[in-house]
Amino acid sequence: MTAFSFNTTTTLAKWCLILMLSVPVIAGTFGAVFPAMGYFPAIGETQFGLHVFATLFDTPALWQMVGLSLFTGLLSTLLAVAGALVLLAGFYHLRWLQTIQRLLSPLLVLPHAAAAMALLFVLSPSGMILRLVTSLSSNESIVPTSWWFPYDSEGISVMIALALKELPFIMLMALSVLSQPQTEKKVAGYYRIGAALGYSNIAVFFQLILPVLYPQIRLPILAVLVFATSSVEISMLLGPNSPNTLAVSVLYWFNHIDLSMRMLGSAAALLQVVVSGVAVGIFIAVERVIAVFGSHQRLSGKRHSADLWVKSVAYSIVSAYCLLIVAIIYSVVMWSVAQYWAFPNLVPDGFTFLHWQTATASLTLPLVNTLQLALAVGITSVAMVLLTLESLSNTRSSRSVIDNVLPYTLFLPLFVPGVAFLYGLVWLQQMFIGDAIWVNTFIAHLVYVLPYVYISLAVSYKKFDMRYVHVALGLGKTPAQVFFKVKLPLMFPPIAVAFALALAISFSQYLPTILPSGGALPTLTTEAVASVSGSSQRLSAVYVILLAGLPLIGFALAWYLPRVVFTPHRKKTNIRDKRHTHGA
Amino acid sequence: MALKLDNVTIFKADRWLLSVNTTVNNGDILSIMGPSGSGKSTLLNAISGHLSPPFIMTGHVEVNGCSMTTMPAHQRGVGVMFQDALLFDHMTVGQNIMFAMPQTMKAKEKEKAVIDMLSAVGLDGLEKRAPNELSGGQQSRVSLLRTLAAQPNVVLLDEPFSQLDSHLREQIRTWTFEQLKHRQIPSVLVTHDMDDAIAAGGEIMELSSC
Repeated sequence: MTAFSFNTTTTLAKWCLILMLSVPVIAGTFGAVFPAMGYFPAIGETQFGLHVFATLFDTPALWQMVGLSLFTGLLSTLLAVAGALVLLAGFYHLRWLQTIQRLLSPLLVLPHAAAAMALLFVLSPSGMILRLVTSLSSNESIVPTSWWFPYDSEGISVMIALALKELPFIMLMALSVLSQPQTEKKVAGYYRIGAALGYSNIAVFFQLILPVLYPQIRLPILAVLVFATSSVEISMLLGPNSPNTLAVSVLYWFNHIDLSMRMLGSAAALLQVVVSGVAVGIFIAVERVIAVFGSHQRLSGKRHSADLWVKSVAYSIVSAYCLLIVAIIYSVVMWSVAQYWAFPNLVPDGFTFLHWQTATASLTLPLVNTLQLALAVGITSVAMVLLTLESLSNTRSSRSVIDNVLPYTLFLPLFVPGVAFLYGLVWLQQMFIGDAIWVNTFIAHLVYVLPYVYISLAVSYKKFDMRYVHVALGLGKTPAQVFFKVKLPLMFPPIAVAFALALAISFSQYLPTILPSGGALPTLTTEAVASVSGSSQRLSAVYVILLAGLPLIGFALAWYLPRVVFTPHRKKTNIRDKRHTHGA
Repeated sequence: MALKLDNVTIFKADRWLLSVNTTVNNGDILSIMGPSGSGKSTLLNAISGHLSPPFIMTGHVEVNGCSMTTMPAHQRGVGVMFQDALLFDHMTVGQNIMFAMPQTMKAKEKEKAVIDMLSAVGLDGLEKRAPNELSGGQQSRVSLLRTLAAQPNVVLLDEPFSQLDSHLREQIRTWTFEQLKHRQIPSVLVTHDMDDAIAAGGEIMELSSC
């Protein structure tokens, strides 16, 4: 490959990436505008007007749906952010932090659907916690007669589940920012200076570190908020029945047998964009208030920030997660091999592998679909992102406008609610690509996977020692040779992690699978969600284990492979040893 | 092969940073000294083709009368060495050196050349080792062998000895300069240490901080 064509390839990849991120989202959103405005030729509706919106606003309980979306989304995000910050404040300067990081990381890659299902096993009226309480107490009256989890009409269950799921994400995002060499040095310096001025570690965190950290995690937090106000899986599995959150209703209208309901769904999808936007507005207002309050605090000269309180909350959060994780693993594993498990027994009445057999028999197709999609999405996304980053790292040419646009397009799929653009996208895909279910689903997955792969690899690219590149170019190697023979092998560990991340995100996609495929491409996640409404709790347990295990296998490989591949020693010595034996 | 820096002037955005006008003859080593921020490494980047904004260069970098000013880095034949050996960890010691050899050489020739090069500097039989199994001094020597294997027109040394212990330092330094002089390669050395510059035995240039 000549230098010219390699240069062209990377530039091309950059354009593909930008188009891949922006076209489906923008076109998809417009695809929802037409049916919402009354134009839906498939059922003979060609009259533009606002009548669909009129119907939408006449829908009983619409504002209750909107309220639920706002309440669950906003409160869960606020709780998750507060919780993550309290954990960081309480533990950042302690060795404990690594243990907590390891504890929370698997939760990050647990699909939302699996997380909701796992909580059902632990928190529902017949769940592990109430079994424990009932069996341990001799006093019958301690057992509550009415229980809030799941399906409570206030949406508390959904809110708690979202908060539990988002906290690890925000926490690990913050840790990755804090681990960047420059920030790490600065933070260490602030702790020393703060301590010298008599501030406690926790006060230093809130008054000095947080102002450095927060601007860098703000965008991901807002993306979490948009997701939380519009997510489907958790509200569908744990939310109240009528009405549920707006996003679940959108999905319901879209999937209604009566095609005219799709117009209502499209209008509601656009309303969802507004609702998520309002949530972001409220969140920013809350930020402002806290910022004003925070600057007063800083000037007050207080050397402690309710240290005892922060510490006890931090320890409570960690204990709660430990308790939950142990309870989830225990109950899910037990349920998956249980014959019958009467309440409030702590151990099933008998054991059987029947559910695993039933599951494995019906699992082949979903598993194959899941793996095919994930591998295709993983390879495509990692290749696209690497070439794009290579194009951007070409410092000889100055940055063009498009390079400055790129960071914003990355967040586009994360800031436009999925329910809003995915249906429009499906509508357009059917018009232009036809019924190519697999390709359509692949594109939808790619849209969600690319931003995370990009963020993860961009950090490693920034950390890469450019002197290796200078040395290799000085040896007369072309930029293409340097990329393939030096950069990629040396960056293999982070590339493997990014690939595992891509697989995990693809595994977990529910809406971007069920919508473009019209349900005709069963994956582990869609089957798992379907299994909840089915009768067998035992089968659901098997699904939760598989959904939790599959991403972990990916990350285990990402950890193991760099020890074997691109390390010069093992293979070479083996060959030499063999030669010696042959010679002898 | 002589390196000519013909009225090379470097600006940081609009601000003047440094001007150099000199010729380094074959086998000579030009030593550049000066406080940090005076643009020592930037000058090396300008010669190797890695100057990036906000730095701008005027004038010409010539090798044997040919201007390299607009050439991309990989076509210049300018080998660079840093204070770290920067051996590629995913290759063996031998592969590191073979990677640098010209593509016109056959695999067998390369293998033989590697064995000869290593034994000439007392590193016999290390070709199958992983770089990180070598001591610091051994890594520095392999790093220079790798640079030389590419048959460079010019070699740039960016404080290459500052990571080494003092007793190793003199030994590696003497050996490095011998190798460069023996092969008649014009070189530029950036250093903080006057001893390095004196040992190099060539012109010593002091950059001022601006």
